[in-house]
This record gives sequence, C-alpha cells and structure tokens, in this order.
Amino acid sequence: MGTLEDLREKVMKGKRKETGPLVQQALDEGCDPQEILDVMVDAMGVIGEAFSRGEAFVPEMLVAARAMSAGTAVLKPVLVAEGNEPVGHAVIGTVKGDMHDIGKNLVRMMIESKGVEIADLGVDVAPEAFVQYITEHPECKVVCLSALLTTTMPALDETVKAITEAGLRDQVKIMVGGAPVNQEFADEIGADAYTPDAGAAAERIVLFYQN
Amino acid sequence: MIIIGEKINGSIPKTGAAIAAKDEEYIRQLARMQTEAGADYIDCCASVNEGELEVMEWLINIVKEESDLPICIDSPDPQVCVDAMKFCDGRVGIINSVSGEGNKIDVVFPAIADTKWGCVALLSDDTGIPKTADDRIKVFEAIMERAKEYGIAPNRLYIDPLVETLGANPESMLVFNECCERIKEAYPTIHITSGLSNISFGLPGRKFINMPFLVLAMNAGMDSAIMDPANRDMNGVLHGAEALLGEDEYCLDYIEAYRDNLFGPLNRD
Repeated sequence: MGTLEDLREKVMKGKRKETGPLVQQALDEGCDPQEILDVMVDAMGVIGEAFSRGEAFVPEMLVAARAMSAGTAVLKPVLVAEGNEPVGHAVIGTVKGDMHDIGKNLVRMMIESKGVEIADLGVDVAPEAFVQYITEHPECKVVCLSALLTTTMPALDETVKAITEAGLRDQVKIMVGGAPVNQEFADEIGADAYTPDAGAAAERIVLFYQN
Repeated sequence: MIIIGEKINGSIPKTGAAIAAKDEEYIRQLARMQTEAGADYIDCCASVNEGELEVMEWLINIVKEESDLPICIDSPDPQVCVDAMKFCDGRVGIINSVSGEGNKIDVVFPAIADTKWGCVALLSDDTGIPKTADDRIKVFEAIMERAKEYGIAPNRLYIDPLVETLGANPESMLVFNECCERIKEAYPTIHITSGLSNISFGLPGRKFINMPFLVLAMNAGMDSAIMDPANRDMNGVLHGAEALLGEDEYCLDYIEAYRDNLFGPLNRD
C-alpha cells in the first residue's frame, strides 16, 4: 500500500498516533503537501458522508477528525512555508443559553478539514461576542451558529439581528444548524444557509468562498 | 470481557441429544456459530455418565477442526479435565473447574503448574456454597494459597464467586458483588467469571434478570462470563456496559460489534 493510501485509511479509522508519522513519511518521499492534505480531506469527506447516511457514528467522526488534526499539525508548517493560504476564515459558536457542543464541534472539525481557518467561540456565546469577533477580524467571512433547543432558537434570531444592527451583515454570510432548526426557520430569520449535518455544512461553506 | 461460549454442553437438551446421536454436524455448527459471535473460548462439556473422556476427545476434535479458538475443558471430574488437555494440542485453554471441594485442586493444579493454562475456580467447598461473602472469601483465600504453592499466577485464574438463584435468595447478587470487589482488591489481575443465567432460575422473563446482573457484576469487577455469545440482548448490554465503564474508548468496540450485527435490529435495511 502506498503511503498516501495508508494515510487515507488511518484517518478514516481514526488512528491518531499513526497519521502524523505517515504525513512526515509522505513528505520525505516527496509528496506534494497539497496532495497530502487532499487525501486527508477526502478521507474525512467519506466519513462525513457515511455519517449523513447514518452508517458512521459520532465517535468515529471525532476520532477521524482527531487523527486528521494530528496529520495537519505536521503538514501545516510546510503549507505555511510554501505560502498556501487557507480557503477562508470563519467563526463558529453555540448561541446564548445553549450549552451543547458535540454537534458544533463536529461541524467545526469538518469545516477545518476543508482547509478553512475557523475560530471556535465555544458554547453559550452572546450575540455581542460574535459581533466583537467579526469586528476585530475583517477577514472572517462566514458565521456558523448552532442551537440545539427549541428554547434557544430565538437566540439565533437575536444574533443575526445584532450582527445586522452592528452594520456587519454585508461582511459575513450566516449559516445556522442544530436539531430543531430547519430551512424555513433559517429563511425566517434571514440566515444565508441551513445545513442538516456536519458534512453538509462543510460542503456548503466552501461555496461561500468561491463566490 | 472474556467470553466463554457455553453452547457445547451435554446438559443442554439439544446438545445432549446431539452427543448421544454422535451428530457431528450439530456440534460443528455450535463451534462455528460461537466463533463468529466473538467468543474467546469454546467450552466443551460432555455431561455423560459413561465414557466421558472419549466424548470429550470427540468434542474437542470437532471444535479444533471448526475453530481456531482455545478450548475450555468442562467436567466435574478433575481427572477428565487433566486427561483431556492432551487433545487440545498446542492450544492453551482453561480448565473448568476446581473448587475447594474434595481433591480437585490436588489433581488439576500440579498438571497445569508448568503450563500457561488457565483455570476456573468456584468458591464452593465440601459444605456446598457458603452463604456469606466472608465464608466464600475464606474458600478463595485457601485456593490462592494452593495456587501460590504451584506457582500459578493470579491472571491465570478465573474465579467464579457463584450465583445463587435470586428467587431463592434475595441477597444473591449482593453477596456476589461483595465477593467480586474483595477479590479484585486483593488481586487486581485476577479474572472473575460466572455462569450467570443461574441467577434467574425459576423466574419469568429471565433476560430481565440476566441483563442487569451482567451490568451490576461487571461494575463490581467481573471481567468474564460463561454464556451464549450469540445472545443478541446480552451482547448489546455487554458492549454497552463496557463502554459505560470506560473500557471502550470512543465506543469503537461497541460500534464494531453493532456493525458486525452482534446486537441491535436484525434487519438493517
């Protein structure tokens, strides 16, 4: 098995201790760093799709993402040295009053796997905190908001409003998600996109950077 | 969990009939089924009145052909256990069992002393099954004394603290658990096993006693069971409990067993 093929399989199986050394080995063998990254992104994509179909499970996403970060930790300095720019910048958080972080973390990991630089503001994030981050980071073009409870869904609306009122609405696209959220609600509060799961969110965010 | 597959046992009516009729295919299928279901050992118990050693040889030979798993030689007669070891060729198995009763230890421990064989040890003695945990621990300590004498390391022993029928003794589980905890505290590397279905004897809906028994016993330190490895309900509970007890990082074994269709819905479409 070739090194890249091996790497792809180890990412999919979540073998964190093996991915870093395999990335190094691929680099030593003269593989193109971008190609190495693509292999890992692709592996995450396969897991993400299986997850969407209900054929892979949350822990498998977590260990695969963890394995990929171990790989990218080795790869990143090389990519930076070669002047590779991230696909884009984004920020993510679970809205005010909501403490759920698993879904939000999965979305973050899947988005990271697409080569997007994404800041994670954590859970129970106030609208003002999003506003402050966007203000301080003009490179940030997408805001990802998560709400897992019907009682915290209004906080999605409030966050969109706060961003609009701060005059930042043209700087960023807003993506929303979480168990009770749907396309209709996203339209209602004026969000730019709704995605049903982490894999779909990662696919969608990339489109924003292409426009 | 170390699972000892219990199906090849002449005291199970269908298996007993297959042994009486020399139905090789039936035994073969039991060996195959238990191997596929993820058993770690295949128990072989002849349960016949005469010619036990010959039946044991027949059973073990079939299992050897059908499975790569090691064998758990199961007989109330310690001499039969020891004599049947030679049928297993190089496969290092488990003797099932000794206890504080009669001369069992005197026969079995010398025979396995210089091997890597394991041994199930029941905490009963010539008076039967001691009522209290204190008395069972006394039997345990006497057994460990003998094991030390023969240089048998604790991790080769599978202690069965014994379960009494819950319907006859409401303290049965509590005594069992106290034994587990005290045994594990004294010898952290030792194994604890149980032929657990006895707990529910005489009760309706037996699985609703057997499944929580498994969980509570695992929580107390039981790390092996003599059971039907193809029992889907028990498999699900077993893998779930292992994950809950922090013995299955990221639930990956649980997911794998689910994916191997060892538990959960039969129809996966």
